[in-house]
Amino acid sequence: MNYNFQYGVVWDNFGALMEGAWLTFQLGVFAFAGGILIGLLCASIKTYGPWPLRLLVDTYVVFITNTPALIQIYFLYFGLPELGVRWSNEACVLIGLVLNAGAYLTMILRAGFLSVRKNELEAGLTLGFSVVQQIRYIIVPHIAKAVYPALANFFIVVLVMGTSVGALIGVDELTGQAINLSSINYRWLEYFSVVAVIYVVLTFVASVGLALLGRWAFRVRVRIF
Amino acid sequence: MPHLAVNNLRAKYGALEVLKGVSFSIEKGQVVALVGPSGSGKSTVLRTLVGLTPVTGGNVTIHDDKIDYASSGSLRRARDQMAIVFQQYNLFQNMRIIDNVTVAPVKIKKRPKDEARADAERLLAMVGLADKLNAFPDQLSGGQQQRVAIARALALHPEILLLDEVTSALDPELVNEVLDSIRQLAKDGMTMILVSHEMAFVREVADKVVFMDGGSVVEEGLPEVLFDAPKTDRAREFFGKILRH
Repeated sequence: MNYNFQYGVVWDNFGALMEGAWLTFQLGVFAFAGGILIGLLCASIKTYGPWPLRLLVDTYVVFITNTPALIQIYFLYFGLPELGVRWSNEACVLIGLVLNAGAYLTMILRAGFLSVRKNELEAGLTLGFSVVQQIRYIIVPHIAKAVYPALANFFIVVLVMGTSVGALIGVDELTGQAINLSSINYRWLEYFSVVAVIYVVLTFVASVGLALLGRWAFRVRVRIF
Repeated sequence: MPHLAVNNLRAKYGALEVLKGVSFSIEKGQVVALVGPSGSGKSTVLRTLVGLTPVTGGNVTIHDDKIDYASSGSLRRARDQMAIVFQQYNLFQNMRIIDNVTVAPVKIKKRPKDEARADAERLLAMVGLADKLNAFPDQLSGGQQQRVAIARALALHPEILLLDEVTSALDPELVNEVLDSIRQLAKDGMTMILVSHEMAFVREVADKVVFMDGGSVVEEGLPEVLFDAPKTDRAREFFGKILRH
Protein backbone atom coordinates (compact mmCIF):
# COMPACT_ATOMS: atom_id res chain seq x y z
CA MET A 1 0.00 0.00 0.00
CA ASN A 2 1.37 3.30 -1.01
CA TYR A 3 -1.16 5.80 0.22
CA ASN A 4 -0.03 9.11 1.56
CA PHE A 5 -2.42 10.26 4.29
CA GLN A 6 -2.94 14.00 4.26
CA TYR A 7 -5.10 15.16 7.11
CA GLY A 8 -4.16 18.84 6.72
CA VAL A 9 -7.03 19.53 4.35
CA VAL A 10 -9.48 17.94 6.79
CA TRP A 11 -8.33 20.15 9.65
CA ASP A 12 -8.62 23.18 7.38
CA ASN A 13 -12.28 22.32 6.90
CA PHE A 14 -12.93 21.00 10.38
CA GLY A 15 -15.26 23.91 11.13
CA ALA A 16 -17.50 22.92 8.24
CA LEU A 17 -17.58 19.32 9.50
CA MET A 18 -18.57 20.55 12.95
CA GLU A 19 -21.38 22.57 11.40
CA GLY A 20 -22.53 19.34 9.79
CA ALA A 21 -22.29 17.54 13.11
CA TRP A 22 -24.37 20.24 14.77
CA LEU A 23 -27.05 19.90 12.08
CA THR A 24 -26.97 16.13 12.54
CA PHE A 25 -27.50 16.57 16.25
CA GLN A 26 -30.38 18.99 15.76
CA LEU A 27 -32.05 16.75 13.19
CA GLY A 28 -31.68 13.79 15.54
CA VAL A 29 -33.16 15.65 18.52
CA PHE A 30 -36.09 17.18 16.64
CA ALA A 31 -36.86 13.96 14.77
CA PHE A 32 -36.86 12.06 18.03
CA ALA A 33 -38.95 14.66 19.87
CA GLY A 34 -41.52 14.76 17.07
CA GLY A 35 -41.51 10.98 16.93
CA ILE A 36 -42.20 10.82 20.67
CA LEU A 37 -45.28 13.02 20.27
CA ILE A 38 -46.60 10.86 17.44
CA GLY A 39 -45.65 7.71 19.31
CA LEU A 40 -47.45 8.80 22.49
CA LEU A 41 -50.58 9.69 20.55
CA CYS A 42 -50.58 6.47 18.51
CA ALA A 43 -49.71 4.26 21.48
CA SER A 44 -52.59 5.76 23.49
CA ILE A 45 -54.90 5.16 20.55
CA LYS A 46 -53.71 1.57 20.21
CA THR A 47 -54.24 0.97 23.91
CA TYR A 48 -57.44 2.88 24.60
CA GLY A 49 -58.86 4.00 21.23
CA PRO A 50 -61.81 2.76 19.15
CA TRP A 51 -61.11 0.18 16.45
CA PRO A 52 -61.23 2.43 13.34
CA LEU A 53 -58.51 4.63 14.82
CA ARG A 54 -56.55 1.58 15.91
CA LEU A 55 -56.72 0.27 12.36
CA LEU A 56 -55.40 3.60 11.08
CA VAL A 57 -52.47 3.46 13.50
CA ASP A 58 -51.73 -0.14 12.55
CA THR A 59 -51.67 0.77 8.88
CA TYR A 60 -49.30 3.65 9.53
CA VAL A 61 -46.96 1.51 11.62
CA VAL A 62 -46.95 -1.35 9.11
CA PHE A 63 -46.19 0.92 6.16
CA ILE A 64 -43.44 2.87 7.88
CA THR A 65 -41.66 0.03 9.62
CA ASN A 66 -41.68 -2.17 6.54
CA THR A 67 -40.26 0.32 4.05
CA PRO A 68 -36.78 1.92 4.05
CA ALA A 69 -36.47 5.42 5.51
CA LEU A 70 -34.76 6.45 2.27
CA ILE A 71 -37.86 5.56 0.24
CA GLN A 72 -40.04 7.56 2.63
CA ILE A 73 -37.83 10.62 2.33
CA TYR A 74 -37.54 10.27 -1.46
CA PHE A 75 -41.32 10.09 -1.56
CA LEU A 76 -41.55 13.41 0.25
CA TYR A 77 -38.73 15.07 -1.70
CA PHE A 78 -39.24 13.75 -5.24
CA GLY A 79 -42.79 12.44 -5.08
CA LEU A 80 -44.82 15.17 -3.40
CA PRO A 81 -43.66 18.01 -5.73
CA GLU A 82 -45.47 16.15 -8.52
CA LEU A 83 -48.62 16.81 -6.51
CA GLY A 84 -47.66 20.43 -6.01
CA VAL A 85 -46.34 20.04 -2.48
CA ARG A 86 -42.81 21.33 -2.35
CA TRP A 87 -40.77 21.33 0.84
CA SER A 88 -37.10 22.19 1.31
CA ASN A 89 -34.66 19.30 1.54
CA GLU A 90 -34.14 19.90 5.28
CA ALA A 91 -37.89 19.89 5.87
CA CYS A 92 -38.28 16.65 3.90
CA VAL A 93 -35.60 14.93 5.95
CA LEU A 94 -37.00 16.17 9.22
CA ILE A 95 -40.63 15.32 8.41
CA GLY A 96 -39.57 11.96 6.99
CA LEU A 97 -37.55 11.14 10.09
CA VAL A 98 -40.35 12.25 12.42
CA LEU A 99 -42.86 10.01 10.61
CA ASN A 100 -40.37 7.17 10.60
CA ALA A 101 -39.42 7.52 14.27
CA GLY A 102 -43.10 7.94 15.21
CA ALA A 103 -43.93 4.47 13.93
CA TYR A 104 -41.10 2.75 15.78
CA LEU A 105 -41.77 4.75 18.93
CA THR A 106 -45.44 3.78 18.76
CA MET A 107 -44.37 0.18 19.16
CA ILE A 108 -41.86 0.94 21.91
CA LEU A 109 -44.28 3.09 23.92
CA ARG A 110 -47.12 0.65 23.43
CA ALA A 111 -45.10 -1.92 25.33
CA GLY A 112 -44.81 0.64 28.13
CA PHE A 113 -48.55 1.29 28.21
CA LEU A 114 -49.20 -2.43 28.55
CA SER A 115 -46.82 -2.73 31.48
CA VAL A 116 -48.64 -0.32 33.82
CA ARG A 117 -49.66 -2.33 36.86
CA LYS A 118 -53.36 -2.32 37.57
CA ASN A 119 -52.76 -2.72 41.28
CA GLU A 120 -50.86 0.57 41.52
CA LEU A 121 -53.73 2.32 39.77
CA GLU A 122 -56.18 0.82 42.27
CA ALA A 123 -54.00 1.97 45.15
CA GLY A 124 -53.93 5.45 43.60
CA LEU A 125 -57.71 5.50 43.22
CA THR A 126 -58.37 4.54 46.81
CA LEU A 127 -55.87 7.14 48.03
CA GLY A 128 -57.98 9.72 46.17
CA PHE A 129 -55.92 10.39 43.02
CA SER A 130 -57.82 11.99 40.16
CA VAL A 131 -57.34 10.69 36.62
CA VAL A 132 -54.84 13.45 35.86
CA GLN A 133 -52.93 12.71 39.05
CA GLN A 134 -52.91 9.00 38.17
CA ILE A 135 -51.33 9.85 34.81
CA ARG A 136 -48.88 12.33 36.30
CA TYR A 137 -47.68 10.34 39.30
CA ILE A 138 -48.20 6.70 38.36
CA ILE A 139 -48.67 6.04 34.65
CA VAL A 140 -46.09 8.35 33.06
CA PRO A 141 -43.23 7.53 35.49
CA HIS A 142 -44.01 3.88 35.06
CA ILE A 143 -44.00 3.98 31.26
CA ALA A 144 -40.89 6.15 31.24
CA LYS A 145 -39.03 3.67 33.39
CA ALA A 146 -40.21 0.63 31.47
CA VAL A 147 -39.27 1.89 28.03
CA TYR A 148 -36.38 4.24 28.77
CA PRO A 149 -33.55 1.90 27.69
CA ALA A 150 -35.33 1.14 24.41
CA LEU A 151 -35.93 4.85 23.85
CA ALA A 152 -32.31 5.70 24.51
CA ASN A 153 -31.13 3.07 22.05
CA PHE A 154 -33.58 4.26 19.45
CA PHE A 155 -32.39 7.85 19.80
CA ILE A 156 -28.91 6.70 18.80
CA VAL A 157 -30.36 4.91 15.79
CA VAL A 158 -32.13 8.09 14.67
CA LEU A 159 -29.10 10.23 15.40
CA VAL A 160 -26.65 8.16 13.36
CA MET A 161 -28.53 6.13 10.80
CA GLY A 162 -31.60 8.26 10.35
CA THR A 163 -30.03 11.64 9.83
CA SER A 164 -27.32 10.44 7.41
CA VAL A 165 -30.00 9.66 4.84
CA GLY A 166 -30.27 13.43 4.44
CA ALA A 167 -26.98 13.42 2.52
CA LEU A 168 -28.76 11.77 -0.40
CA ILE A 169 -31.05 14.73 -0.97
CA GLY A 170 -28.37 17.34 -0.40
CA VAL A 171 -28.78 18.15 3.28
CA ASP A 172 -25.42 19.23 4.66
CA GLU A 173 -25.51 17.26 7.86
CA LEU A 174 -22.32 15.47 8.90
CA THR A 175 -22.36 12.80 6.19
CA GLY A 176 -23.51 15.23 3.52
CA GLN A 177 -20.84 17.72 4.50
CA ALA A 178 -18.18 15.01 4.35
CA ILE A 179 -19.32 13.98 0.85
CA ASN A 180 -19.27 17.60 -0.32
CA LEU A 181 -15.82 18.30 1.06
CA SER A 182 -14.13 15.10 0.01
CA SER A 183 -15.42 15.34 -3.53
CA ILE A 184 -13.53 18.60 -3.86
CA ASN A 185 -10.09 17.11 -3.27
CA TYR A 186 -10.70 13.35 -3.16
CA ARG A 187 -9.43 12.86 0.42
CA TRP A 188 -12.20 10.31 1.07
CA LEU A 189 -10.20 8.18 3.47
CA GLU A 190 -9.13 11.12 5.57
CA TYR A 191 -12.54 12.79 5.66
CA PHE A 192 -14.51 9.66 6.38
CA SER A 193 -12.14 8.39 9.05
CA VAL A 194 -12.48 11.73 10.84
CA VAL A 195 -16.25 11.71 10.31
CA ALA A 196 -16.44 8.23 11.80
CA VAL A 197 -14.66 9.49 14.91
CA ILE A 198 -17.00 12.49 15.13
CA TYR A 199 -20.02 10.17 14.92
CA VAL A 200 -18.63 8.00 17.68
CA VAL A 201 -17.94 11.02 19.87
CA LEU A 202 -21.41 12.36 19.16
CA THR A 203 -23.14 9.11 20.09
CA PHE A 204 -20.87 8.69 23.09
CA VAL A 205 -21.82 12.11 24.44
CA ALA A 206 -25.49 11.42 23.75
CA SER A 207 -25.32 7.98 25.36
CA VAL A 208 -23.61 9.22 28.49
CA GLY A 209 -26.09 12.09 28.74
CA LEU A 210 -29.05 9.75 28.32
CA ALA A 211 -27.67 7.21 30.77
CA LEU A 212 -27.16 9.89 33.42
CA LEU A 213 -30.61 11.32 32.78
CA GLY A 214 -32.13 7.85 33.04
CA ARG A 215 -30.38 7.08 36.31
CA TRP A 216 -31.29 10.42 37.78
CA ALA A 217 -34.88 10.69 36.59
CA PHE A 218 -36.14 7.12 36.31
CA ARG A 219 -33.67 5.00 38.24
CA VAL A 220 -32.87 2.85 35.22
CA ARG A 221 -29.50 1.47 34.32
CA VAL A 222 -28.77 2.19 30.67
CA ARG A 223 -25.95 0.55 28.79
CA ILE A 224 -23.60 3.14 27.32
CA PHE A 225 -22.06 0.83 24.71
CA MET B 1 -75.21 4.25 65.89
CA PRO B 2 -72.61 2.03 64.23
CA HIS B 3 -69.47 3.56 62.78
CA LEU B 4 -70.03 1.78 59.51
CA ALA B 5 -72.96 -0.33 58.41
CA VAL B 6 -73.26 -2.52 55.35
CA ASN B 7 -76.88 -3.16 54.44
CA ASN B 8 -77.90 -5.88 52.02
CA LEU B 9 -74.90 -5.09 49.79
CA ARG B 10 -74.85 -6.61 46.32
CA ALA B 11 -72.12 -6.68 43.68
CA LYS B 12 -71.49 -8.44 40.38
CA TYR B 13 -68.47 -9.31 38.26
CA GLY B 14 -70.09 -9.44 34.84
CA ALA B 15 -73.00 -11.83 35.15
CA LEU B 16 -71.65 -13.47 38.29
CA GLU B 17 -73.23 -12.19 41.47
CA VAL B 18 -70.43 -12.25 44.04
CA LEU B 19 -72.25 -10.45 46.84
CA LYS B 20 -75.84 -11.54 47.34
CA GLY B 21 -76.97 -9.17 50.03
CA VAL B 22 -74.30 -8.80 52.70
CA SER B 23 -75.09 -7.03 55.97
CA PHE B 24 -72.96 -6.34 59.04
CA SER B 25 -71.95 -3.35 61.08
CA ILE B 26 -68.96 -2.18 63.04
CA GLU B 27 -68.77 0.12 66.07
CA LYS B 28 -66.14 2.78 66.53
CA GLY B 29 -62.84 1.27 67.69
CA GLN B 30 -63.93 -2.26 66.89
CA VAL B 31 -62.09 -4.83 64.84
CA VAL B 32 -64.32 -6.94 62.60
CA ALA B 33 -62.87 -9.93 60.78
CA LEU B 34 -64.40 -11.30 57.59
CA VAL B 35 -63.60 -14.98 57.27
CA GLY B 36 -64.70 -17.75 54.97
CA PRO B 37 -63.57 -19.92 52.07
CA SER B 38 -61.95 -18.52 48.93
CA GLY B 39 -64.50 -17.01 46.59
CA SER B 40 -66.96 -16.26 49.38
CA GLY B 41 -66.83 -12.53 48.60
CA LYS B 42 -64.80 -11.27 51.59
CA SER B 43 -62.32 -9.26 49.54
CA THR B 44 -65.11 -8.03 47.29
CA VAL B 45 -66.81 -6.50 50.33
CA LEU B 46 -63.71 -4.40 51.00
CA ARG B 47 -63.26 -3.50 47.33
CA THR B 48 -66.89 -2.46 47.16
CA LEU B 49 -66.58 -0.28 50.25
CA VAL B 50 -63.84 1.83 48.63
CA GLY B 51 -65.54 1.90 45.24
CA LEU B 52 -63.21 -0.40 43.29
CA THR B 53 -66.04 -2.83 42.56
CA PRO B 54 -69.40 -1.29 41.64
CA VAL B 55 -72.32 -1.70 43.99
CA THR B 56 -75.40 -3.17 42.34
CA GLY B 57 -77.70 -3.11 45.34
CA GLY B 58 -78.00 -2.27 49.03
CA ASN B 59 -76.02 0.49 50.66
CA VAL B 60 -73.19 1.44 52.99
CA THR B 61 -73.45 4.08 55.70
CA ILE B 62 -70.73 5.79 57.70
CA HIS B 63 -72.10 7.47 60.84
CA ASP B 64 -75.55 6.98 59.30
CA ASP B 65 -74.51 8.89 56.18
CA LYS B 66 -75.29 6.92 53.07
CA ILE B 67 -72.43 6.70 50.56
CA ASP B 68 -73.54 7.40 47.01
CA TYR B 69 -71.04 5.46 44.91
CA ALA B 70 -72.36 7.07 41.73
CA SER B 71 -71.39 10.55 42.93
CA SER B 72 -67.70 11.38 42.75
CA GLY B 73 -68.02 13.83 45.68
CA SER B 74 -69.64 11.25 47.93
CA LEU B 75 -67.13 8.62 46.86
CA ARG B 76 -64.26 11.00 47.60
CA ARG B 77 -65.62 11.64 51.10
CA ALA B 78 -65.95 7.88 51.64
CA ARG B 79 -62.37 7.30 50.48
CA ASP B 80 -61.27 10.07 52.85
CA GLN B 81 -62.71 8.12 55.73
CA MET B 82 -61.52 4.67 54.70
CA ALA B 83 -58.12 3.42 53.65
CA ILE B 84 -57.39 -0.01 52.24
CA VAL B 85 -54.28 -2.17 52.41
CA PHE B 86 -54.01 -4.78 49.67
CA GLN B 87 -52.79 -8.36 49.66
CA GLN B 88 -50.09 -7.48 47.11
CA TYR B 89 -49.11 -4.20 48.90
CA ASN B 90 -49.60 -2.23 45.62
CA LEU B 91 -46.83 0.22 46.45
CA PHE B 92 -45.77 2.76 43.85
CA GLN B 93 -42.64 1.10 42.49
CA ASN B 94 -41.21 4.31 41.08
CA MET B 95 -41.25 6.17 44.40
CA ARG B 96 -39.05 5.98 47.45
CA ILE B 97 -40.64 4.64 50.63
CA ILE B 98 -41.03 8.09 52.13
CA ASP B 99 -42.66 9.37 48.93
CA ASN B 100 -45.03 6.42 48.81
CA VAL B 101 -46.29 7.55 52.21
CA THR B 102 -46.30 11.32 51.62
CA VAL B 103 -47.57 11.52 48.04
CA ALA B 104 -51.27 11.34 48.88
CA PRO B 105 -51.18 13.74 51.88
CA VAL B 106 -49.11 16.29 49.95
CA LYS B 107 -50.59 16.05 46.46
CA ILE B 108 -54.18 15.25 47.31
CA LYS B 109 -54.77 16.62 50.78
CA LYS B 110 -52.45 19.58 50.08
CA ARG B 111 -50.83 19.28 53.47
CA PRO B 112 -47.51 21.11 53.98
CA LYS B 113 -44.54 19.02 52.90
CA ASP B 114 -42.56 19.05 56.17
CA GLU B 115 -45.65 18.27 58.20
CA ALA B 116 -46.52 15.30 55.95
CA ARG B 117 -42.93 14.14 56.05
CA ALA B 118 -42.72 14.28 59.83
CA ASP B 119 -45.98 12.38 60.02
CA ALA B 120 -44.72 9.77 57.54
CA GLU B 121 -41.49 9.32 59.47
CA ARG B 122 -43.47 8.77 62.66
CA LEU B 123 -45.71 6.17 60.96
CA LEU B 124 -42.77 4.38 59.36
CA ALA B 125 -41.02 4.28 62.72
CA MET B 126 -44.18 2.82 64.22
CA VAL B 127 -44.11 -0.06 61.74
CA GLY B 128 -40.37 -0.48 62.34
CA LEU B 129 -39.04 0.98 59.11
CA ALA B 130 -37.44 4.22 60.24
CA ASP B 131 -34.22 3.23 58.47
CA LYS B 132 -35.80 2.57 55.06
CA LEU B 133 -37.09 6.03 54.17
CA ASN B 134 -35.01 6.37 51.01
CA ALA B 135 -35.22 2.80 49.78
CA PHE B 136 -37.36 1.78 46.85
CA PRO B 137 -40.10 -0.86 47.23
CA ASP B 138 -38.21 -3.51 45.27
CA GLN B 139 -35.35 -3.26 47.74
CA LEU B 140 -37.58 -4.37 50.62
CA SER B 141 -38.90 -7.77 51.67
CA GLY B 142 -42.59 -8.53 51.29
CA GLY B 143 -43.23 -7.99 54.98
CA GLN B 144 -41.47 -4.64 54.92
CA GLN B 145 -43.41 -3.58 51.83
CA GLN B 146 -46.66 -4.55 53.49
CA ARG B 147 -45.77 -2.45 56.53
CA VAL B 148 -45.06 0.49 54.21
CA ALA B 149 -48.50 -0.05 52.70
CA ILE B 150 -50.02 0.13 56.17
CA ALA B 151 -48.12 3.35 56.90
CA ARG B 152 -49.25 4.77 53.55
CA ALA B 153 -52.87 4.00 54.38
CA LEU B 154 -52.55 5.55 57.84
CA ALA B 155 -50.93 8.71 56.50
CA LEU B 156 -54.33 9.90 55.33
CA HIS B 157 -55.64 9.53 58.89
CA PRO B 158 -58.55 7.32 57.94
CA GLU B 159 -61.26 6.59 60.46
CA ILE B 160 -61.56 3.05 59.23
CA LEU B 161 -58.76 0.81 58.01
CA LEU B 162 -59.54 -2.04 55.62
CA LEU B 163 -57.03 -4.89 55.49
CA ASP B 164 -57.42 -7.32 52.59
CA GLU B 165 -55.55 -10.56 53.35
CA VAL B 166 -52.48 -8.52 54.14
CA THR B 167 -50.37 -11.49 55.17
CA SER B 168 -51.44 -14.00 52.52
CA ALA B 169 -48.62 -13.16 50.11
CA LEU B 170 -45.91 -13.24 52.77
CA ASP B 171 -43.38 -15.83 53.83
CA PRO B 172 -44.45 -17.39 57.14
CA GLU B 173 -41.48 -15.77 58.86
CA LEU B 174 -42.58 -12.30 57.78
CA VAL B 175 -46.20 -12.64 58.83
CA ASN B 176 -45.62 -11.77 62.45
CA GLU B 177 -43.96 -8.44 61.82
CA VAL B 178 -47.07 -7.32 59.93
CA LEU B 179 -49.44 -8.76 62.51
CA ASP B 180 -47.54 -6.88 65.22
CA SER B 181 -48.24 -3.62 63.44
CA ILE B 182 -51.93 -4.44 63.19
CA ARG B 183 -52.05 -5.52 66.84
CA GLN B 184 -50.63 -2.14 67.80
CA LEU B 185 -53.31 -0.35 65.77
CA ALA B 186 -56.05 -2.41 67.41
CA LYS B 187 -54.65 -1.46 70.80
CA ASP B 188 -54.71 2.21 69.76
CA GLY B 189 -58.41 1.94 69.03
CA MET B 190 -58.37 1.98 65.24
CA THR B 191 -61.62 0.84 63.64
CA MET B 192 -60.63 -2.00 61.31
CA ILE B 193 -62.27 -4.47 58.98
CA LEU B 194 -59.92 -7.25 58.09
CA VAL B 195 -60.12 -10.18 55.75
CA SER B 196 -57.82 -12.87 57.02
CA HIS B 197 -57.02 -16.55 57.04
CA GLU B 198 -54.90 -16.21 60.20
CA MET B 199 -57.49 -17.66 62.55
CA ALA B 200 -55.36 -17.48 65.68
CA PHE B 201 -54.76 -13.82 65.00
CA VAL B 202 -58.43 -13.17 64.26
CA ARG B 203 -59.39 -14.80 67.54
CA GLU B 204 -56.89 -12.58 69.34
CA VAL B 205 -57.72 -9.15 67.86
CA ALA B 206 -61.26 -9.35 66.47
CA ASP B 207 -64.26 -8.10 68.45
CA LYS B 208 -66.57 -9.69 65.96
CA VAL B 209 -66.19 -12.33 63.28
CA VAL B 210 -68.39 -12.37 60.18
CA PHE B 211 -68.40 -15.75 58.45
CA MET B 212 -69.20 -15.58 54.75
CA ASP B 213 -69.86 -18.22 52.14
CA GLY B 214 -71.08 -17.95 48.56
CA GLY B 215 -71.55 -14.19 48.69
CA SER B 216 -73.66 -14.08 51.84
CA VAL B 217 -73.11 -13.81 55.57
CA VAL B 218 -73.76 -17.20 57.09
CA GLU B 219 -73.16 -16.38 60.73
CA GLU B 220 -71.58 -13.66 62.83
CA GLY B 221 -70.60 -13.35 66.44
CA LEU B 222 -67.78 -13.21 68.97
CA PRO B 223 -64.70 -15.08 67.80
CA GLU B 224 -64.76 -17.62 70.61
CA VAL B 225 -68.44 -18.36 70.04
CA LEU B 226 -68.12 -18.66 66.27
CA PHE B 227 -64.93 -20.69 66.38
CA ASP B 228 -65.85 -23.04 69.20
CA ALA B 229 -69.62 -23.31 69.06
CA PRO B 230 -70.97 -22.22 65.67
CA LYS B 231 -74.72 -22.45 65.27
CA THR B 232 -74.86 -23.17 61.53
CA ASP B 233 -73.75 -26.38 59.87
CA ARG B 234 -71.72 -24.53 57.24
CA ALA B 235 -69.73 -22.64 59.87
CA ARG B 236 -69.25 -25.81 61.89
CA GLU B 237 -67.90 -27.58 58.80
CA PHE B 238 -65.57 -24.68 57.88
CA PHE B 239 -64.14 -24.03 61.32
CA GLY B 240 -64.01 -27.74 62.05
CA LYS B 241 -61.78 -28.21 59.01
CA ILE B 242 -59.41 -25.31 59.53
CA LEU B 243 -59.11 -25.21 63.31
CA ARG B 244 -58.29 -28.89 63.62
CA HIS B 245 -54.66 -28.28 62.62
